[in-house]
Formats: sequence, C-alpha cells, structure tokens
Amino acid sequence: MKDKMPPLSRRKFLKTSLAAAAISSGASAPLVRSLVPGVHAAGSRPAKGEYESHFTACDMCFNRCGMIARVRNNVIEKIDPNPKFLKSRGMICARGNAAVKHIYDPDRLKYPLRRTGKRGEGKWERISWEEALDYTAEKMLEIGEKYTRCGMMFIPGSDMQSQFVHRFAEVYGSYNITSHETLCLLSKNRAYLDTIGEVPYPDVLFSKYVIIAGANPFEAFITPDTIDFFEARKNGCKIIVLDPRFTKTAAMADEWYQIKPGTDMAFFLALCHVIVKEELYDAEGCCPKMTYGFDEFFLHIQQYTPEWAEAECGISAQDIVRIAREITAAAPAAMVYPGRRTSDYKNSTQIRRAMAITNALLNNFDKPGGLLALREVGVKTPYYDIPWYDDNPFDRVEAGLVPGLIDHEGSFQLMREAIISGEPYPIKGWFNFKTNFMQTAANRNKTLEMMDHLEFIVNIDIAMTDTAWYSDVVLPGASFLERKDPVSGLQGSSACACAVLRDPVVPEMFESRSPFWICQELAKRLGLGDSFDFTIEEYREQQVDGLDGAMEAMLNDGVYYNPSKVYGIYAGSPLKTLSGVKEIYNQRYARSGVDPMPVYKRPDMPSEDQFRLVVGRTAFFTHAQTNNELLTEFMEENVLNMHPEPALRLGLQEGDLVEVSSRAGAGRLKLELTEGIEKQTVYMATGFGALSPGMSLVHNKGASIAEVLEDYHDEISGNMAMHETLVSIRKVA
Amino acid sequence: MKKKYCMVIDSSVCIDCKACMVSCKVQHNLPRGHWRNWIKHTDPDFTMGKHTFVHFQPGGCMQCDNPTCVFACPSGATFKDEETGIIHVNEDLCIGCGNCVKACPYGARYRHPTKRVPDKCDFCKQRLDMGLLPACVDTCPTKARTFGDLNDPESEVARLVREHQTVRITTQPVDTKPNMFYLAQTMPVDWPGPVEYPMAHRAMTGLVNPLVKVAVGLSGLGVAAMFLKQIFTSPESSQQDNKEEV
Amino acid sequence: MNTRMIHRHDRAAIFIHWFNALCWIFLTLTGLGLIKNDQINPVGAWWPSLMRTIFGSGETLLTFHIYTGLIWAAVFLIYIIIRRKQTTDFLKEIFSINPTWDTAWMIKKNIQLTLGKGALKKMGMTTDIPPQGFYNAGQKLFAQLTVIAGLVLVITGVIMYISTIILNNPTPVAWSRTIHFLMAGLAFAGLLVHIYMAAVSREERPAFKSMFSGVVPEDYAKHHHELWYNELKNR
Repeated sequence: MKDKMPPLSRRKFLKTSLAAAAISSGASAPLVRSLVPGVHAAGSRPAKGEYESHFTACDMCFNRCGMIARVRNNVIEKIDPNPKFLKSRGMICARGNAAVKHIYDPDRLKYPLRRTGKRGEGKWERISWEEALDYTAEKMLEIGEKYTRCGMMFIPGSDMQSQFVHRFAEVYGSYNITSHETLCLLSKNRAYLDTIGEVPYPDVLFSKYVIIAGANPFEAFITPDTIDFFEARKNGCKIIVLDPRFTKTAAMADEWYQIKPGTDMAFFLALCHVIVKEELYDAEGCCPKMTYGFDEFFLHIQQYTPEWAEAECGISAQDIVRIAREITAAAPAAMVYPGRRTSDYKNSTQIRRAMAITNALLNNFDKPGGLLALREVGVKTPYYDIPWYDDNPFDRVEAGLVPGLIDHEGSFQLMREAIISGEPYPIKGWFNFKTNFMQTAANRNKTLEMMDHLEFIVNIDIAMTDTAWYSDVVLPGASFLERKDPVSGLQGSSACACAVLRDPVVPEMFESRSPFWICQELAKRLGLGDSFDFTIEEYREQQVDGLDGAMEAMLNDGVYYNPSKVYGIYAGSPLKTLSGVKEIYNQRYARSGVDPMPVYKRPDMPSEDQFRLVVGRTAFFTHAQTNNELLTEFMEENVLNMHPEPALRLGLQEGDLVEVSSRAGAGRLKLELTEGIEKQTVYMATGFGALSPGMSLVHNKGASIAEVLEDYHDEISGNMAMHETLVSIRKVA
Repeated sequence: MKKKYCMVIDSSVCIDCKACMVSCKVQHNLPRGHWRNWIKHTDPDFTMGKHTFVHFQPGGCMQCDNPTCVFACPSGATFKDEETGIIHVNEDLCIGCGNCVKACPYGARYRHPTKRVPDKCDFCKQRLDMGLLPACVDTCPTKARTFGDLNDPESEVARLVREHQTVRITTQPVDTKPNMFYLAQTMPVDWPGPVEYPMAHRAMTGLVNPLVKVAVGLSGLGVAAMFLKQIFTSPESSQQDNKEEV
Repeated sequence: MNTRMIHRHDRAAIFIHWFNALCWIFLTLTGLGLIKNDQINPVGAWWPSLMRTIFGSGETLLTFHIYTGLIWAAVFLIYIIIRRKQTTDFLKEIFSINPTWDTAWMIKKNIQLTLGKGALKKMGMTTDIPPQGFYNAGQKLFAQLTVIAGLVLVITGVIMYISTIILNNPTPVAWSRTIHFLMAGLAFAGLLVHIYMAAVSREERPAFKSMFSGVVPEDYAKHHHELWYNELKNR
C-alpha cells in the first residue's frame, strides 16, 4: 500500500473536496443546520473552497528547502515539504512551517517610508514609490559625485534576489559590497580554500565517523546534513561532539566533550600529532605524496602532544589517542565536520585550518563519506558590463587590513572601522537589503557610530528591523512567497546538485515590491537602465541555457537535478591550491607573514569574576528573524545560561534578572541555570532585545547579543569574532 | 476492510526541532499556548560525563483502543471512528463539559479558548482524505514519525511493528491500549498521569445513574401494583371504595 | 346521581398543562437520546441510536432538545408574567402542607391503591383517608417536584447551552449535566405515577377529563378534594 503518499494533484484535490462537500451537506437538513447557533456551527464542518498547490523554495533561512504552498482563496494556509526535493529530504522545519506568519505578519511594512525625525526616533512619513525612488536615486547620485561611487556601501543579503542587488551595486560602481557572511562562515571558507582550494560540502550520509566541533547542526538546521546524521547513524556512524555547551547536538552524540571554549585547535593539533606519530594516515594515497609541507608539519606537530592538549582543552589524552585511532580506522569515510558559523575567535581561520588539515590527513576529500568537491549544477550567472568610473579609488575600503579578505565579501567589521575613521576614503551612503546588522553584528554602539558618519541609508526589508529603524528611507520588500525569483543552484551533499526557482504563490501584499523591481527602477533613474533591461523570465532562460529539461523539471517538480559526477571529480587533476595538492603548509601565508601552519595560541581567559559570552541559536529562529508569532511561542525572550556553581558563588538564582556587561555595552535578561555549560562560560541566543518597536514580539524582550558583544575579528579573513568577549554579571535589584 | 490508523515513532532520531508542532499548529489554526502534539524529553544526568544524553520523545493523541476520553463523554460527542480507529470530537454535539480533557491521562486534549470545545489530534483526517500524510509526519525532518494502517500488513507501520520491539506508553488503573508505538528504547515513559474521571462524571455514573434507576424503578413498581389492583378489582367495588373512602 | 359540574381549571391553565406535558415528554425522549455513554445509558444504547437515526444526527437531536427547552422555558416565563396571581396562588397551594394529614394521606392512599383497603385494616389503620384541598398530597408532591425540577433543569440547561458560548470554566457545565440528568430522572419517576393516575386510574378519570373540559363533577370534588369543595360552598 501507499506508505509514502504522493503530493496532491489538483484533480485529486477537486475530487476529495467535492466528496467532502457532498457528505457534509447530506448529513442533515440544511434548515435545521441554520438554527444551530454560530458557536456550534463553527465546529467541524469541512472548510469550503479548493486548495491550489504551488512549488516554491523556503527562505526562512539560507537552505532553500523545497516547499509546496497550499493556497485557498488567495491565502496561504499551509506549507508542506516537496517530497521530490532531495536536498531537504522532504521535510520542512519549524521555521519553514512558520512562513505563513512571516508573510502575514502584522508587523509587515506596507508602504515606503521616509524618516522625518532624528535617526532612531521613529518619526516617519508615508511617501509614494515614485517619491521614494526619485529621492533614493538623487541621494545616490549626490554621494557618487561628492565621494566617488565607492562612497556607497552595499549589503545585498543572502536571498535569491541578492544577485540583482549585487549587480546593481556593481553597475552603480561601488566595490564596497559586504555581506552577512562576514559575520558567519568566512573564516571556515578561508581555511578550506587555503587547504584544499575550495569550500567542500560534507558527505554526512555515507560517513562512518564524524567529529563536530564549533557547530551545532541539530539546532542550526543545515539541510541535508542535519537529517543525514541520523541516516548515517543507522549505518553505524559515530558522532563525537566538542562543545562547551550541552547543545541538542551534544545531547544526541555518541560522545560529548565539554571542551574549554576557544581551545579546539589544541585538540585537533593533538589529534594530528597522534595520527602522524602513529602513522595512522594513508601513506600511499595521502601523505606525504598528495600534501604540501608534510615534513614541516611532522616537525611542527611534535610539541602538541595529547598530554599537552589535555591540559589546554580539558579532554583526556587517552580519549584523544583513541579518537585518533578510531577516526583513521574509519577514514576516508570519516571527517571533521566543517561547520558553518565560524565567527568566533581572532584566530578562527587557523582553528579551522587545524580541522581542515585533520581532514587532509584522513584523505577524505572528493570521496564517499568525506568532504565533497563542488559539483556541477550548471546554473549560469548572466553576463553584464560593469561601467568604469575614473574617479573611483583603487580598491575596496578595507583592502589590505587583513591578508585573507574574500572577494565580493570583504569584512563588514573592518568597513565599519573605515567608515568611522574616514580612512582611506569616505563612505557616506548605505544600501541595505534584508540584513540586520544592528541585531547581528557585535558592538551595536559602534554600528550606531558608523551611522552617524553616513549621509544616507536606504533599507529594503519586510518589517521594521532595528537596522531599518535607523535608516532614512525604508522600502517594503515583497516576501519570498510573493515574488518571481531567478533560478538558484544548490549543492549540499551526495544526493543533490539541483536548481530551484520561485514564482509568486500569492500576489504582492500592500505596496511591497521585489528588490529586482526596485533595482530596475533605481537603475533607470541613475541612467543605468540598460543593465536591468530584462524580465525575470529572460534572465532565467540565460541562467539555465544549455541545461536540457531544467525549466520543465523546475515547473513540474519544483526542482531540477543535474546528474553530474559526485565523487572523484578531481580524479588525478590538480587541486585549486597554489601547489595543486592539499596545503598543510600554506605557501601564501608564509609569504604574507602569517603562520603557514596553525600555531596554538591560548585565547584570553576570563578572570575569576568574569565569564566568556558565547552566542548561538535554536532550531526555530534564524538569527534576528525572531519576530514570528508561531515561533516566539517556544521562546518569548532569551535567557542567560550559566552553570549553577558560579551562580551560587555570585549569589544568583534561577530566574533572576541580571545585567551582562562588557566594554561594548550591557544587556539585561533572565538567568537560567544549567549544568550543561562550562563553568566560566555564559550563553545567550541571538535575535532578542530589539530596539525597533516594529519588531513587536521581541522589542525590549531579553537582551541583544549586538549590544553586549565586543568587536573582534579574525586576523586572516576579517570575519567577525564573537566568542572573545569577556563579560561580568550582576543581579539587577 | 476496516482501517486501524496508528503512528510508529522512532524517538531516538527526534532532535526537538518543533517542526511537527508548528506544522500541526498551522494546519489546524490552533490558538496560542495550545498544541495538539508535543515533544517530551528526559533530563540530562551530567554525572555520566561524555555519555550524558537527552532523549526526545514526540507524541500526540494515542488514539487508544480503550479511550478514557470517550468513556468520560456523556453525549458521544467524542467517539472512536470504527472505520479508521481515529478518535474524533463532534464539536456540534459537544456541550463543553470538559470531562474528556480531564479524563485523558496523556494531556492530549485541551479546551479551545474560543470555541470552548475540546480539541485534539485527529491524524489530520482532512489531509488523509486529500491523500496527504498528517502534517507532523509529512514535515518531520528526521522522519521520526511513521503513519499508516496497522491492519494492512504491507504498510510501513505494520512492518515496523512486526520487525521491531515496540513500547506502548500506558498508565494506571486503565490500560488505554494506545495506538502510538514507540520503537524500543523510548524515554521518558512514566509521564502519563493516572486515569482520573472528573468528580461530576463519577457522580453521574456512580451515584446519579443508579439513584435515578432506583427512583424510576420504585415508581414503576408502584404504578404496576396499582394497575394490577385496578385490573383485579371490579369497577363497582372500586366505586364503592370511593364512596366509603371520604 | 349528582351531575352538577364544578369549575376547576380555566383555559390558560389547561393550555399550559398540555403544553408542559408535551414539552416534558419530548424533552425526556430526546434528552434520553442525548446520553450516549455505555456507563450511563439508562435504557441501553439502542435508544440514543434510534433517536439519532430519527433526527438525522446527534447534532440535530441536540438542537431540537435545546430549542424545545428554551421555547418551553420562554413560554412558561410569559405565562408566569401574565398570570402572576394565579402562579402565586398555585405555588402557595402546592407548598402549603399539613404534615399530619398529608403524611397520613400519602401512606394510606398508597397502601390502598396498591394493596387494597384490606391491607390498611390488617396494618391496624383506619380506612378513612384525610380530606384534601384543591390538590391532594400526592399531587402537591408531584407539583413541587416539577416546579423544582423545572427550575433546576432550566438553569442547568442554560448553563450547558451557554458553555460553548461564554463559559471559560467547564466545571459548572460538567456538574450541570449531572444535575440535569438527576432532576430529569426524578421528575420522570414522578411523571410515571402522574400519568398512571391521570390516564389509567379509573378513580381519577374525572380529573383527567377536567384537563380538557375545565370542570369536574360535584361528587368527585366532594370525595376527592373535600376541603376545596367545602371552601367553594362556603364562599
């Protein structure tokens, strides 16, 4: 029988709803029915009307899981997973399910607004789109003339339409484009680029042994990794988790080690020490042949014994040795999970390098159960001309401040410094789409200070975020369920190299408009109309040009799969590193004065009355996207997690209102005690304590990480470092 | 053939992501603060060191074969559909006495704050009629929930129940015979409360019902006696009786 | 034989009696059909099933029960408002009890009606039965029962009716249901005797007829309601 039911076809819908209607009307006389009081009538009658089903891709985080939106009378009533969408394995998480409250959020922006009072004062006037676009274009031209085109900073978000904002920024003529990712995973990307030449995807599904450090995939959903861990476990995969917190990932691991925060590198260097010393690596296929600098590494690693690591990170030497032996026995179907948000320490890139090198020793790249090379998806980025502006400066504003900035991303934190200092050149404008740095970037006071140096801020978003609250012009964006979006190529694991697109599920609400339309209209006003003289359909055609059947598959199934090669993509050809092999010893680092191999540095440790503040999120919120009625029910405000022992010492009790203060600022929230946290560490979740009353559910609820975290950055990639902040805690009377 | 819908839950893969709860909430437009399903968990014992764990356990109405909620309902507004095994609430027949809410040892029912009738999981009957899986099953990321017809030997649930040891979470003093099967090592299992019918219901079954029967019985007996006497005495003598009487 | 008739009931009283009777019977039958629970079913599961089949569904049955009850209560209310005096008199009459006479009447009459006069004698009692007023003790008792039961049934019924509309606490509803059932049950027990007396019993036939005609034979009044009869004559 059908244990897996197929997605509903329209005809079947019609049949069943007709049948239901027939049954309900025949059940009893309508006359009698009409006598029944309203409350009784409100009961079990089947809803009238017919469902329509639309394929779409989720945008509640960045995974873009396949969805089917069930629509009735032009209202989205339910969102179901698209079972044909293998990347998300036919699932939708809590956030995706809550997308109905994302689109029908009473806090949504309805029409363009222009600030009339001081920034943050909350005085707005409603203006027409015409006026909003004219005014924005005028301001952008003015800034371009006064400070060169690079005087505008662009933050295009991580949305399927972000490519249009990116394109708009480039044709406008600014190099200063940065992103949410500079608060997220750039240090990891840097580490893998500098070790194997690209950023790999973990092949969790076929793995036999995984070490998860600095990641919490069971709470921070990554499709399909999060799901595949359980399939892998059914096939005997062992999961080791290192985390100062007892996360849900830790709760379900085979072994959980409460590592001291910031000491992961000690563990991995010791792991390498054992692997190298006991020659547990694959001598034929891997070392020293297919690596660069193995001999230097051999010498370098001598100092990092398991006993030394035990003292540093708190994990026993025996465990380290045992794990080294176990993981190499499982290799190459074994890995150190690369993770995502690696914006934690000043040496994050080097910490992740230590993990990447461990992976190199496991020889798992481009192999089943290891790390996957990029597959061919085949979705193209249509070509466009970037005009030349003579007066533009030579490079982006924060160029050269760190040795490993990533192209087109840069570092928001370093740009913020440059804007405040005005060096090497001024930036006076900010074009922002769907990014909320006021809530996500460390040191909110500094972001406010940066804004004091900006003459014009325009923000496209769906609601009045904290960042929008401090903007000059706020443009209501259309939600992902209302837009026609270009094709997006996705990767993730062995089962998918796929492409998805979005068509509007329901029409745009209020006066909201898509970023594409906004960029198009602004481009016209800036004399750059030619760069946006196309429709989304034409753009899509160019994107999938040469991919036979792609468009049909996306329209019929909601997804297209490219049956491209999964494993052995390199098959003898050189990697994209300088040496063409895995660089345990990085030559470019050596040249630019960076440690070519990871050198352990103990992070600044909290003093007796201090704590290290770590931040993270739950499975039901994406960063600062907390203003959702369905999701705040699980967490109405964030709390500060602390171990009961220091709490006792400080005279603090569960439920106390405490003030967490750092050099950057202070926040107030309730205390929650748990033994599941390292004793000198405290934790709070992101996305609360919003300043903007437009985020009505989280406005003044709990504390914002942005107000407490001090601003540090990774010294190689410029990625933000959010776990370096040491805080003191006192009870609020 | 009659269906016996059930759910088999592999709680060892539940990661407490709440997707099932939100999916259900959206599907049935549930009010804030109320749920038709849940995820329970054990408390971690940190003395276990690196082996410290938490076991998450999804749940919902167990669609019992011995449904105490149905037993507690005076009007049959809550009933077990013989064709599917699903326990439904006929909201139109319900007078909102709340007996069933209290009688469920699993807390699977709540009184809807505006409709003021009980609300509970019905395995998404509307979705089943449309050929869709229940909302929680459909959306579950790790596929901890499996749904199907236990009477169909080919179904996935039948296979799971056949091939695995399963646990039914039950309680005292009534074995509810739940139709939610947990694969082997599920935890926690001691959370259901005892089956306790509300006082008003116990008074009705234990006191009022017998009392009424006795009262009606006695009165019936009296009437029968009078009737018999009337039959066996002639009208004349009765007339005479009357005359003498006063 | 004396064929003179004496006025006993006016048209309004006759109407409200029969209206009341019909509603009671209908409400008892439908109400019994609403109890569908194997632990309670007073007459067995066949009755609720039958009633639900007749009415199409339980919901319709409930609807009929609720609205009949409400109409019944409303009509009664109007009747009471229009005929305040008669109502007060009626209440005074039925609640005025002479404990010695009424108790004696109850005991003796019951024995006489079931076991016969001989039994009275055997038990060492005299065969004379205490004289009665407009209503005899049995009628008074039944009238008291219907008045109290009616009031309680209306109150509990309304509580149940409004529970899904405004009540946030279900406990009063649960108790209402129990009490509603109790009162209906007791009233039904009394109703059995009342119906027997009126419709089957030979000696009360004139009273039954008077519920249509409004008059009773003088003889009957004299014998059965002596005090009332005397009062009339003295007036």
